[in-house]
Amino acid sequence: MSIPTEVAANAATRSAGPGARPPAGGPRRRRGSLGVQNLAGWLFSTPFLVLFGVFMALPIIATLLMSFTDFRLRDVTDPFHARFIGVDNYVKLFQDDKFLTALFNTAYFVVVGVPSTIVLGLLAALALNNGINRARTFFRIGFYAPVVTSIVAVAVIWRFVLDPQDGLISGLLAEIGVTAPDFLGSGALAMPSLIVMAVWRNLGTVMVLLIAGLQAIPAEVREAGRLDGVGTWQELRRITVPLLRPTLLYATVITTIGYLNVFEEPFVMTQGGPGNHTLTVSLHMYREGFNFFHMGYASAMAYVLFVVILAITALQLRLLKDNTR
Amino acid sequence: MHRAVRTSAVALSIAGLALAAAACGDSSGGEGVAADQKQTLTVWGMGTEGQKLAEVAARYEAQHPHITIEVTPIGWDVAHQKLVAAAAARTLPDIAQMGGTYVGEFADLGVLEPVDTTVFHQEDFFKAGWDQGVADGTAYGVPWYVDTRVLYYRTDLAEKAGITEPPATWQKLQEDAAALQQKAGSRWGIYLQPSGLDTVQSFYPFLYSAGGAVIDDSGKAAINSPAAVRAFEYYGSFFDKGLSRKSVQPGYDVTKDFNSGDVPMFFSGPWHMGILKEQYPQLDGKWAIAPVPADQSSTSMAGGSSLVISEDSEHKAAAKEFIKYLTDAESQAEWYKLTADLPANKAAWNSGDLAQSPQLQIFRQQMETAKAAPTLPNLTEITSKVDDALGAVDQGKSSAKSAADTAQSQIESLVK
Repeated sequence: MSIPTEVAANAATRSAGPGARPPAGGPRRRRGSLGVQNLAGWLFSTPFLVLFGVFMALPIIATLLMSFTDFRLRDVTDPFHARFIGVDNYVKLFQDDKFLTALFNTAYFVVVGVPSTIVLGLLAALALNNGINRARTFFRIGFYAPVVTSIVAVAVIWRFVLDPQDGLISGLLAEIGVTAPDFLGSGALAMPSLIVMAVWRNLGTVMVLLIAGLQAIPAEVREAGRLDGVGTWQELRRITVPLLRPTLLYATVITTIGYLNVFEEPFVMTQGGPGNHTLTVSLHMYREGFNFFHMGYASAMAYVLFVVILAITALQLRLLKDNTR
Repeated sequence: MHRAVRTSAVALSIAGLALAAAACGDSSGGEGVAADQKQTLTVWGMGTEGQKLAEVAARYEAQHPHITIEVTPIGWDVAHQKLVAAAAARTLPDIAQMGGTYVGEFADLGVLEPVDTTVFHQEDFFKAGWDQGVADGTAYGVPWYVDTRVLYYRTDLAEKAGITEPPATWQKLQEDAAALQQKAGSRWGIYLQPSGLDTVQSFYPFLYSAGGAVIDDSGKAAINSPAAVRAFEYYGSFFDKGLSRKSVQPGYDVTKDFNSGDVPMFFSGPWHMGILKEQYPQLDGKWAIAPVPADQSSTSMAGGSSLVISEDSEHKAAAKEFIKYLTDAESQAEWYKLTADLPANKAAWNSGDLAQSPQLQIFRQQMETAKAAPTLPNLTEITSKVDDALGAVDQGKSSAKSAADTAQSQIESLVK
């Protein structure tokens, strides 16, 4: 809040003209009015600060503290009774086979899911930006609709699509005489099925971001390229993608963060099964925290996930930095 | 992306609990108000019971003008969370309905008042019903209603498969499942839950019938006893032989396949009688129930709910009288008519439908011998190890013995 007022004040000083002296007593009066402005600023931001403090900062700190204790169900009646156990939770985490499986599954989900989402999102954006002229709005809505659809409705539809007996895919395969596998019941196919579903759900967000990015690319650049005789592929590779880089970076970062936190897909579709093949870190955390009430342990898991997300995001920001400026 | 908020949401709930707990703590568990004084009782009921309880409460209020009863219905899906939050904040209602598996947990939290055994007598109730309210040797809950699992089967399909009477033994059950699949055109022979949380509930009737238990009478883990391994083998063999489906989606509803004939047999509790009658009237006369097929014995699992009084309640005397009213034979019989919940009080079974209906006699007979799950504070975690073992056996990933051994060592570390 204080920065904009200062800028405004500076601007006011400057507008008095070069070399103009500030009127006598100016600085003091300005400080006084700044104080009032600051107070007003603080007052205006109080609702946000209170909400942020109570609902964000406090839980985050409480979770950090809790991750160093053996906080269990019986401690909810007396939270200060929980025993401080140092980094035991963290040590235990990395000996927990289930957690390691969950880490692996989450990595699988991210490594396959993020590139697929970005590439397909880019293709959809390109198609809608260039190729498809008719019914463009219709397609945009079509791609974006899954993003705003409730997960419960999505689950109902996808269960039908993937049902091994009377599902959509099994029906289509039966037409050509092939027996459909049990997608969600098979250890090898369950995770890919969830990835397909997640890509379908998140494609729209990436597409919308990239369409905005595409429209921000100046037409002159493309024109110049065309005059120099570049082909479609070269234009995509040498002009579109490099100029789209900041948008791509943003889309990649938020998709990665979202996918690292993946929870809803396995929660509604498989409950982590079959045999922990779709158990993700968030789902494992939820179970430990709310089914078994190992609050300390679940908090430690939350912090490990947080550090992983932080590290990967930092890495992405570094690797995909905009080098064109 | 909204999912990014997940971690902080979890953190938030955890901190919320801690806050709620820190904010209070000044609760007086004193003598409270005498039963005959004017007062308001707060009661939490879950699911259907919560909705129907208000009717009974109104009747009670008419007879006892000085008592006002405030019933709050709570959905089963949020019941546990709400109870935990209320326990943490010491704001539990005077009376709460608790599922059998909750009592151990909340007794361990020290928020429940022990049952006055001079007023409520163990011998009035089914043993398994009473056991669900007992934690660490002390009774905290008075059994309100009970349920137990029996075999549901399609009589028309059984006839087609040449089956003349319901299977009474394990061997017959499997033969019949195979016959139904081969001769009656059913896709599967039977439905048994293959994996996932609470698969153990589908497994209990087999485990108990074989003479096994998750935790034995001395409180030790016993899931790899020879009897338990035998039950694992038998349960797994239905999947191995393709008689039961190996995967189902969360929220799978067996009645749809029961109606189409794809699943001609399944195990379930009394609530499915109502569901089948209401939703599939065209099936009337084409299905029946039978006791759990026997191995060493025919022993099913018992479920149900108990009524507990909060330790902090100031209306304990009045609460006790209201619970006494809810659990006496007469109002239990009334309650059955209202909800079709099976009365926990044995005397309620001596008249009307409860004494005459042949189907209810099967439930009654099964209930006499049924076993309740142990009331331990970390029961969900313990049984989740059994769920994992069942999943491994069903999917053919592990032999019954090695899965049972793994579960045993995991459960041993959880039982102290």
